[in-house]
Amino acid sequence: MVAPQRSWAHASEQGFVLLLPTDLYTGAGVVAVLLTVLALAVAPRRSALRINATVPILEAKARRAQLSISICSCVIFWLLIWVGLAGPRDPLANPLVLMVWTVFWMGLLTVQGLAGDIWTYLNPFTAPAWLARSGLGWRAPLCLPAWLGYWPALAGFLLFGFVLLADPAPADPDHLARLAAGYWVFHFALALLYGPAWLRRGEPFAVLFRAIGWVGICARSGGRLRLGPPGWQIATGAAPPLSLAVFCVMVLATGSFDGLNETFWWLGVLGMNPLEFSGRSAVVWQNTAGLLLANLFLVLVFALTLTLGQRLAGQGPHLTRGMRLFAPTLLPIALGYHVAHYLPSFLVDSQYALVALSDPLMSGADWLRLGEFFVSTGFFNSKDSVRVIYLSQAGAVVAGHVLAVLTAHAVALKAYGSHREAVLSQVPLAVFMLGYTWFGLWLLASPRF
Amino acid sequence: MTELKKTNRRGVLKGLAAGTAAAATLPLWARYTHAQSAAPIKIGFQQHRTGIGAAYGRWYGRTTEAAAAFINAQGGINGRPIEIVAEDDGTDPKRGAEVVEKFATQHNCDIAFGTLFSHVVIGSAPRAGELKIPYFVVSEGHHVASGGLNRYTLQPGITDVKSQVQAMAPYVNANLGKKVTMIYPDFAFGHDHRDFFTAAMAAQGGEVISQIAIPPSETSFTKYFPKIPRETEVLYHVMVGPAVLTFVKELGEFFGPSAPAIFGFIDSLEAVDIASPGLEFLDGTYFWEGNPRYAQADQSDADKLFREKVGVDANGASVSDPADVSTYAHMFGCWETLHVVKAGMEAAGYAGPGDRAALIEAVEAMTDMPEGIAHPQGAKIFIGKTHQVFGHQYISQVQGGKLARVHSTSIEDTFYPDEVDYTTQPL
Repeated sequence: MVAPQRSWAHASEQGFVLLLPTDLYTGAGVVAVLLTVLALAVAPRRSALRINATVPILEAKARRAQLSISICSCVIFWLLIWVGLAGPRDPLANPLVLMVWTVFWMGLLTVQGLAGDIWTYLNPFTAPAWLARSGLGWRAPLCLPAWLGYWPALAGFLLFGFVLLADPAPADPDHLARLAAGYWVFHFALALLYGPAWLRRGEPFAVLFRAIGWVGICARSGGRLRLGPPGWQIATGAAPPLSLAVFCVMVLATGSFDGLNETFWWLGVLGMNPLEFSGRSAVVWQNTAGLLLANLFLVLVFALTLTLGQRLAGQGPHLTRGMRLFAPTLLPIALGYHVAHYLPSFLVDSQYALVALSDPLMSGADWLRLGEFFVSTGFFNSKDSVRVIYLSQAGAVVAGHVLAVLTAHAVALKAYGSHREAVLSQVPLAVFMLGYTWFGLWLLASPRF
Repeated sequence: MTELKKTNRRGVLKGLAAGTAAAATLPLWARYTHAQSAAPIKIGFQQHRTGIGAAYGRWYGRTTEAAAAFINAQGGINGRPIEIVAEDDGTDPKRGAEVVEKFATQHNCDIAFGTLFSHVVIGSAPRAGELKIPYFVVSEGHHVASGGLNRYTLQPGITDVKSQVQAMAPYVNANLGKKVTMIYPDFAFGHDHRDFFTAAMAAQGGEVISQIAIPPSETSFTKYFPKIPRETEVLYHVMVGPAVLTFVKELGEFFGPSAPAIFGFIDSLEAVDIASPGLEFLDGTYFWEGNPRYAQADQSDADKLFREKVGVDANGASVSDPADVSTYAHMFGCWETLHVVKAGMEAAGYAGPGDRAALIEAVEAMTDMPEGIAHPQGAKIFIGKTHQVFGHQYISQVQGGKLARVHSTSIEDTFYPDEVDYTTQPL
């Protein structure tokens, strides 16, 4: 790529992956998740809860820092928009494209998911909105209705999914600059109209990053920054509203379709030749339909899973409550797959980003003293290095599922009266997660264009 | 300096400044100041940056930048530097046409250049013809010489698949065997090989005794191998895509040590290390190479300089990473095409877009292109009527994990009767 799509018309990385014993690796991954499920089924209730203990590490007094960083972030954002419009046309030389798809989408979302909420600081809307309120005395004329919940953000996220997966040229600098600028202006205008509530519930990236940040190890809690095991925020936190829960499911569904749409299997469904693929403009409506169907399908399957779990347990939260409780436990899977899916692209595109960082003003500078620097994809050309990359990807997928099983179990223990009911309620969800482990590993191993 | 920085607008300006400062010691640079206009000649580079052609696009980019830097260091074209304006076409025919339009209407490019994948060429060429912007493709496709495109589309820097394939037949027939079984992917790329080679073998007195078409999405080939007739003397393969390595591995397992002679096109393993574990079976087999990836014992000075300028070592890999194998059999086409553009513009006295028609006519008037740094792959003959260049083809044998050239075809081996006369079309 540059994201959202990296492709090779010749034998290379994927060629070597096809030579690896991926069936064996997939089986091992599924067994690892199964063992986690079984271990939890017999683990004492107390130890399962204790696993999510946290420790305070810092006083969380960060408002000023947050605003300062947000201002810088906003200035950089608009500089990048300018670079997108006026800079090089080559997407792998244009800093806007590299910042959006490589640094922000591939990199920052991953860091957020591992570390915790850093986006609160980097969000380029926060400081301008605060300045409008505190500096200019702006008062939002409208109130964002509570019944709207997070549905506006969800709609916005689906639109982003469309750009990611179905827009013909998401890496074209000019096009991306217009999209990004339009995005900022649209959401800032709504933030002025509806106040900070829009930035909490309407702006999709704020919601996406907050949700993925729940997987991370750090979070503010009770005025302090606390450190815990990955997923502790989900295991110990309050259930989100239904709209936000559905958002969590859709993060996973969209990420999964991101992988699926590159496979020979998907092109086979579309009746297209993967070796003579006519590019993204040939699959606009097909990928749009696929994205929507994937989201609908996963929400329905997940709802069915929860309903079955409730039936097995004999009692417990009804479907809406179950969705709110358990949907966030899918986020570690989404994060794991995000890491796995983008790792190869990141290895290449981050080199281009490094080059751009060394000369951000395009003045011919070489701040990082890279000298004569040639971007390399040599690590895709040997079986050994491809095995390392593949196993890292597979490891991320399996780790995501193991974490999902752990957090779901902890949530179930809180939601159900007895350990037995909690375990029974988890049987369908465990089957779902085992199936999803297989699916994620199949995606990594299957031929792609 | 990176491959991204060399000859974009910034690089050109830097180069001009450096040239002015160093005019006393670098007289070539000083020529810019004597030119009527020192404004750069803008070359729109339609690059497969994303999509299925991205691996090729990266090396086409690197070669293009190197060629532009080399030409600029020699005084540019008509005393003006070249500026490369790279646009990603996504290896997408529809976007390809849009990119050509951008070159003509937004970026004010003098020409469009550099496309590899056939479907993008076919999708873009009509727009180039409508906008009357010279479109120099580096595609190998037979679509230019077949007459399917238009007068504004030319392929002067790389030979086409029809000439490549038919030129293999004399060597195969005389040295490897007369009874050939072909295994090819079942779409246009494979069909071209099937049709051209079958006809060429018949002309040599040999015979293609079996044609085995493999579905493009196939990932296991064992079930096809029993279809190979026992009397097969040569197996001709042109598989492409991620399953190629599996194909080779399973082929080796099927035949063991008693395989027929095996001949393939390096397209299957372009940018793949031939010494990769699992490819041992290829030792002793033969490949067509557009340009020998490994520096040969009789390496020309031009090939040596070409490698040095592009940053490729004697094994055809990047000087910065021996594992980063280049698309060496194809990428010279970008270098040579830009040199043809330079020669054409100089012959036409090209001053700006108003001289585009004169540029087309100047290139059409070209015939012999002698081997040298402008044509490091070898001498060529350009046919103005068909807008297609013809040149030597190479057959290499895998020996100890490297490709050793065993045969060079004559240019005449690659000729076929003209199928079109573009010069009769209006400009």
